[in-house]
Amino acid sequence: MITTQDLSLHDVKLAPALTELREAYFRAMPEVCVERPLLITKFSAEAGLFEQARITVLDKGRLYRRVLENRTPVVWHKQAHTQTPSGPQGFSFDDRSPFAGSTTTKFKGVPLYPEFMALALWPELWTMSRRTSNPYFISEEEVRILNLDVFPRWMDRNIAELARARGTDEDRRRIQLLQKFVFFLASKPNCISHTIPDFSRAVREGLRAVIDDAQTRKERVAEQGKKDFYQAVVEVLEGIITYARNLANAAAAMAERESDPARGMELEEIARIYRRVPESPAKTFREGITTVWICWTAVHLENPNVGLSLGRLDQILYELYRDDVATQRLTVEDAVQLLGYFWLKIGDHVPTMPNAGEQLFGGTGSNQAITIGGVDAEGHDAVNDLTYAMLRATELMKLRDPNLNARYDPEISSDMYLRRLCEANINTGATPALHNDRAVIRALTASGHTLAQARDYGVIGCVEPGSNGRFYGHSAAILLNLPSALELALFNGRHRHLAADKVVSIETGDPTTFTSFAEFQEAFKKQALWVIDQAIALNELFGRIHQQFYPTPILSALFEGPLERGMDLIEGGASINGSGFAIIGLSDVADSLSAIETMVYREHRVDFASFLDALRNDYKGYEPLLSRLKNPALTPRFGNDDARADANAHWVIEMLHDAARRRVNYRGGNYHVGYWTMTNHAGFASFIGAMPNGRRMGENFASGLTPCSQVTPSLLPALQSVARLPGECITNGMAVNLKFTPEDGDPDRMLDNFVAAVKGYFNVDRDHGAGGMEIQFNVTSHRDFVEAVNDPARYDQLLVRVSGYTAYFKDLNPQMQKEIIDRTEYRLSTGNAVPYDPIPLPTGGGHVH
Amino acid sequence: MSIKRAALSIASPVLPERINDYLVQRLAKPLRVQLCEKLTDDFLELLLKAMDLAFILSHSYRDNVRGFRATYVFRTANESVAATALFGDGKMKVEKHGVIPYDVQVTFTDAHALWSFLLSENQDVLDSILANTVDVEGNLNYLYRFGFLARDLTRRIGVA
Repeated sequence: MITTQDLSLHDVKLAPALTELREAYFRAMPEVCVERPLLITKFSAEAGLFEQARITVLDKGRLYRRVLENRTPVVWHKQAHTQTPSGPQGFSFDDRSPFAGSTTTKFKGVPLYPEFMALALWPELWTMSRRTSNPYFISEEEVRILNLDVFPRWMDRNIAELARARGTDEDRRRIQLLQKFVFFLASKPNCISHTIPDFSRAVREGLRAVIDDAQTRKERVAEQGKKDFYQAVVEVLEGIITYARNLANAAAAMAERESDPARGMELEEIARIYRRVPESPAKTFREGITTVWICWTAVHLENPNVGLSLGRLDQILYELYRDDVATQRLTVEDAVQLLGYFWLKIGDHVPTMPNAGEQLFGGTGSNQAITIGGVDAEGHDAVNDLTYAMLRATELMKLRDPNLNARYDPEISSDMYLRRLCEANINTGATPALHNDRAVIRALTASGHTLAQARDYGVIGCVEPGSNGRFYGHSAAILLNLPSALELALFNGRHRHLAADKVVSIETGDPTTFTSFAEFQEAFKKQALWVIDQAIALNELFGRIHQQFYPTPILSALFEGPLERGMDLIEGGASINGSGFAIIGLSDVADSLSAIETMVYREHRVDFASFLDALRNDYKGYEPLLSRLKNPALTPRFGNDDARADANAHWVIEMLHDAARRRVNYRGGNYHVGYWTMTNHAGFASFIGAMPNGRRMGENFASGLTPCSQVTPSLLPALQSVARLPGECITNGMAVNLKFTPEDGDPDRMLDNFVAAVKGYFNVDRDHGAGGMEIQFNVTSHRDFVEAVNDPARYDQLLVRVSGYTAYFKDLNPQMQKEIIDRTEYRLSTGNAVPYDPIPLPTGGGHVH
Repeated sequence: MSIKRAALSIASPVLPERINDYLVQRLAKPLRVQLCEKLTDDFLELLLKAMDLAFILSHSYRDNVRGFRATYVFRTANESVAATALFGDGKMKVEKHGVIPYDVQVTFTDAHALWSFLLSENQDVLDSILANTVDVEGNLNYLYRFGFLARDLTRRIGVA
């Protein structure tokens, strides 16, 4: 329900204490935290888990309870480190957050998971504080702890090594392939995460009620495995409650020592609230956030901080907000301040990223999506006052995490709401991403969600939709480099990056002997299926290792399905299961197919042998051909509403969907395909030489499902091409990245055109079930981006949309910065692309030799 | 065992740690020259020799491998360079050829690739794999540990 008069909440500003904390946040560099790995290692050793051939859910439950009970209860942070020319230096600040507890012991921490990929940081421990890209502070004592007390215990026990050691020779061959990074990334050695827990029950009933429920179910079942599962749930929830009590006690002790009465009262209030929740039902908006926050820290204790998402918080917390406002316990100003503090808490950690990871994922946060707006389970408008408060908090805080996503139903949502979403994008430059309820719900029901489940979708990680608290979909299970399949088809099973003379996949024929485009399509399809087969086989292997060594009782306790089934999530306990592909390079592949079809087979302008020679020579000596390929008037390019080009994009999408949906994963769910690339369209591109669409070696792929840069001169056809793609085949989400020029002259007109563009995109062919599914924006000028490259300190808070998540521009690697700068930029007042010269390639880009 | 190595083994337990550290610095000079001036095909041999000395002389460096048993094979694809580092009982033994079985085998294109793999400024084992100049078979975690040992050594000889 909307009672807010001014939807923009323009008069609501950040309080000075929150502003100060936000400034400290931006000043602080991430710091490695060794508490979690140390406690996990110590208690695992004491319980004999390193010697066990399998780790049960009850083992994990007891382990996490001990860790939760022994975690340092950090109420307020006092110090952090900042990067200076002479190295990291400590600084103090005043933290008066109403939300105690943190993901790590640090103000901005790097949590380590030695069960997964933390050991990849081992070689960098002495250098990570001064590495060029996104350095982490670590003390000498912390280096010593990790080197001597933690990492050695996990050398034969992390997920990657367990899979390698327990797999077959064929599995090990595939792992060798994975380690080349050329074809795909399989993310289970790093995490599953990528889901939305169900916080609604914890908020509504409190964790004690869930414990009682688990106890009752345990007594009713006969099967020992189920009894153990329920006991594991009891263990972890008791651990969470103890952690909250420890925070309450710490706050109370601080209050007693506090000389400032105001601060003393704040601490006493924290102590009072943390004694009540999350054990008991939340009674106020602040208690509701506290419950979510404490459960969130527990979820991160168990699951690596990658793509775990908070779901529809404007729905879960709305009743508490409404009642507080109605009884005048809370004003909207208070609510925005609380949300601002909460947003900072959510961003209190960054992912563990070794230096090479910066090439593939540089600048990423942990992609904690929050979803607002849309329709409810009955299809009614769910936008409420809290939706607008969250938008305002996001606008004021301008943080990378949380990643705000707004749902919009073209038939139900109000125009004023859409206008406000567009306005927030202009004000922040990059957020929220917009999702079309009609298209997304249609895709989800096609993939097995019921209508009610689909209507209750939230956004996971970057852009992936899934039903809140009931879909365990590991949406980023496989990140697939589609141009690699094209490379294999072009060179008959060989890959230039690996060895131009060695077959690495299957031989599908020398394309110079093909007499039709259909023959080449068939070769490409076989190679794509080969890559998919390798990726799925590894995902299944890693999934089975997770089942044997990494049950997740904390996440299972906060999910719909596991309690009802008496089964951990990793065994298939969720109401809905799945695994997801993210396809990288679709537009470049579709355009390459169109180029081959047109140049070789339709117009006979070049024979295939010459085309391959052009590719081998990076188009040197073939400049007229290159010029022709880059001209959408001469060569069909996806994104110009050109049926010939769009048909190839459709064909690829339908082919991949058909290949994936037939496969059932180790938890009994289907595979889903999505098109969002994070920064992989820059990372993966470095392994691929020149492509038939005129992309030269070292150039980035197009991001997500966005048409290739600089070949779509008009906005409207670009949007129409994307909106007409078969949404029912895109069940794992998509990212369409648009760049708009901020226009000074008439802001209202710009906003009008912004709204019209989104409405048009969401409504294309609506009667036929089409319509754009997702869209996201960068509203920063080309000039400002270029200046930000040259003077990063001046633009240290410049927020950008990459392809899915938001990032700080300064944190992106040069290749990724270039990709964003070179994206087609449209002027909303005309709908035409703004002409400018691409900036030069950064030195060192590309690994193809 | 060489006479020098034997003498150091006998002397180091009675020498103060700072003297041992000084000796590591002095005796690892050929490696430092490689790292600071010009890499040659001798880089791997010098690195392993310097590690060996550090394990003999430095109590704190030895702590890095206490209780650690592992076999590392380093080789170029054409076998022009090959060596095996065997860890056990807080010591390291070097063989001038590959052995089987190993915990991890690193195949590198040349000295520069290996240096880049282990010791470049923005050091990252994965980065070299991305660049396709190094191929790894076996348990990557063992390699991460070796990467730490190499970096720790360069700190001690004043290069990092």
